[in-house]
Amino acid sequence: MTTETLRVAARRPLKAPRSKTRRRQNLLGLLFLAPAIVLIGVFTIAPFGQAILLSFQSWDGISPDTPFIGVENYLTVFQDQTFWASMGNALVFAVIGLFVGGGLALVMAILVNNTKRAKAFFRTAFYLPGIFSVVVIGLMFSWMFDPKVGILNRILDGVGLGGLEHNWLGDPATALASVAAVFVWYHWGFAFILFLAGLQDIPSELYEAASLDGARIWAKFRYVTWPHLAPVTSIVTLLTLLAALQIFGTVQVLTGGGPGYHTMVPTLLIYNEAFTNHQYGVAAAMSVLFGGALVILSMVQLTITRRRARA
Amino acid sequence: MNKASSPFGGTRRRHGVRLSVAIGSLITASVLLLSGCSSPGATASDTATSGSGAKVALTMMNNSRGSAPGLEALAAKYSKETGVTVTVDTPGPSAYLAKLQAAAQSDDMPDLYTAIAPSDLAPFIKAGWAMNLQSALDSGWSSDFTPSTIKLTTYAKGNSLGIPAGVYAAYWDTGVYGFFGDPAKAGYMAKTPPATMTDFIDGLSKKGGDNFSVAASLTPYLLQSYASNFMTDAQIDATLSGKASWQTDAWKKTFQLLVDLKKSGVISNSALPGGSTDSPDVEKSFFNTQNIAAMFDASWATAVQTTTAPDFTSYTTFVPPKAAGAKYSARAVVVPGKGALVNAKGKHTKEALAFLKWLTEPAQQKSFMKTTNGIPTSPKLLSSGAVSSGFAAGVSSGQVVTSPFTANVVSAIVADSQSLVLGEKTVDQVLSDVQAAQDKS
Repeated sequence: MTTETLRVAARRPLKAPRSKTRRRQNLLGLLFLAPAIVLIGVFTIAPFGQAILLSFQSWDGISPDTPFIGVENYLTVFQDQTFWASMGNALVFAVIGLFVGGGLALVMAILVNNTKRAKAFFRTAFYLPGIFSVVVIGLMFSWMFDPKVGILNRILDGVGLGGLEHNWLGDPATALASVAAVFVWYHWGFAFILFLAGLQDIPSELYEAASLDGARIWAKFRYVTWPHLAPVTSIVTLLTLLAALQIFGTVQVLTGGGPGYHTMVPTLLIYNEAFTNHQYGVAAAMSVLFGGALVILSMVQLTITRRRARA
Repeated sequence: MNKASSPFGGTRRRHGVRLSVAIGSLITASVLLLSGCSSPGATASDTATSGSGAKVALTMMNNSRGSAPGLEALAAKYSKETGVTVTVDTPGPSAYLAKLQAAAQSDDMPDLYTAIAPSDLAPFIKAGWAMNLQSALDSGWSSDFTPSTIKLTTYAKGNSLGIPAGVYAAYWDTGVYGFFGDPAKAGYMAKTPPATMTDFIDGLSKKGGDNFSVAASLTPYLLQSYASNFMTDAQIDATLSGKASWQTDAWKKTFQLLVDLKKSGVISNSALPGGSTDSPDVEKSFFNTQNIAAMFDASWATAVQTTTAPDFTSYTTFVPPKAAGAKYSARAVVVPGKGALVNAKGKHTKEALAFLKWLTEPAQQKSFMKTTNGIPTSPKLLSSGAVSSGFAAGVSSGQVVTSPFTANVVSAIVADSQSLVLGEKTVDQVLSDVQAAQDKS
């Protein structure tokens, strides 16, 4: 009773100073956040705003004059067939990266998770491609795909499948698929590690219970593994899609967007427009459209994930 | 009471400390930002003053890693001779333009910078980052260059790039585009290169075909070389500058070359190699793995042979052979090679110009010849017999076309040439695309 009275008595006179203290704390909090807000504002928000502004201007990258030209850059981009073809190619990379790369990563993660020996070796070996520079990977595969001296055609010839020898990067029929294969090889290790971590988090008791209920491999995967991997799958899907849509170095080194424009992707086109053609306004307009598409895609993906989580 | 006041007092003190930390970090962030956004700090060139006889330090940005050792050695020699220090920064060809652009945007340009494609240099020249060398050339410096070099490097009034009339770069070597062939494999006599393009193609064909290559990025020069069979230099220049149409019979005949090469089956792998390493890949196929008999490339490619395949000396070089139905004799594309510009807004423009003049003197050009295999621009060296390359002849009879391809046209030709060889587009469609790219430029 005495303690309670004291508490109440102590609260009353403190009521006014407390709101003052709260304001002070808020101010203090804001001051602590200020450096981060300033840095994010200057290095993230401002460049983004600047890119949007530039998309309405004409600039060669050097000139101090940047005249406003309205929506001319956007009209140029809308009429540019190469840009839309590149968007289509990016979509193909996304689909292949997601289904082939993601599928491969999941299967390998399940196999490695069930392996009793050399788990660490497989984990390292499968993740290894992802640590190399994309230029090194590009050069390595351009040698492997070389139609005359490349190891791929040599192997095909060696095993009596000479008829399948091909100009992998020079033929429009195989160029996109070849670059996509390199992309999958380069990126699947990351998805593999995430899936493996997700698999290791699933309690073994669930599998034991499923076994007692007579569940077989597919049923265990369908009702135990897959639902528990849903959060990891969402992350893998989003990251794979973004990586595939933003593919740049692999295409630049392997094909330069060719033959013709068969492997051209938006990021390479934006780079060429800015740094080769010195049309920064058009490049900025392409960036805004492409970036906007990525943001929409990410939002759709996250909405689906949230709905699934609620259900 | 003491117990009650103590925590409040402690809270106040903690608040005071937190407030100080927060304000301190805000000030630190602001200072870092302001220092990052402020004008550039002291550079090497600020460390000395000119005019009073004090030491001057020049900075030079260089794009070519291959010529870096030679350039650095000459810079060291110049420093010894004159006391002017020259620091050469070589970011490499892929990073060079981006670094130069960043330097211009931050008002931190070097005193000198090496020349690259005219379309890439144009924004710098138009923004006043390059000194017009015309008056210096008129005062006697021009004797270090062949007349054709001077013509090639002069921007005429009303040029397609919108550069004010004048000369903005001085070059110590020249490049010539032509054919490299291994006579035994390509089906021609070593001493007498093919007289006509038909002979050349037939020779390759008889040896089994699938043995000629050109990098997609070099097709504009192959086509410009071949175009000289049907057009004068003035006519080619008019097209490149956008004053004449691409959709003419002469250009149709020119682009038909790619179709003929494809039809005859001589193009290696039936496609033009692309990608960022297309040119080195073709050079590797010719000099190193030797699985092609001939290629189209620039004279600088001989450096690849001397450094990576010194034993392969049986190849010959020759300028474009005559086309069937040619109106004029075929003339090679001659382009300015390695050279540099003086930053007109630099602090030591006089000293930078003096260094550039020294670099282009015959003695220094000879030094460059040894390290980069370039063809010198000095008439003295060209007439002295010091040039051993088979391309040397191409310099005297080469095209004098001052208007360069615009970047858009290059992109269109590179991509459409691949499509043409693959049979995806017709010559008319390609010319229509190239014309659209020219109009966009």
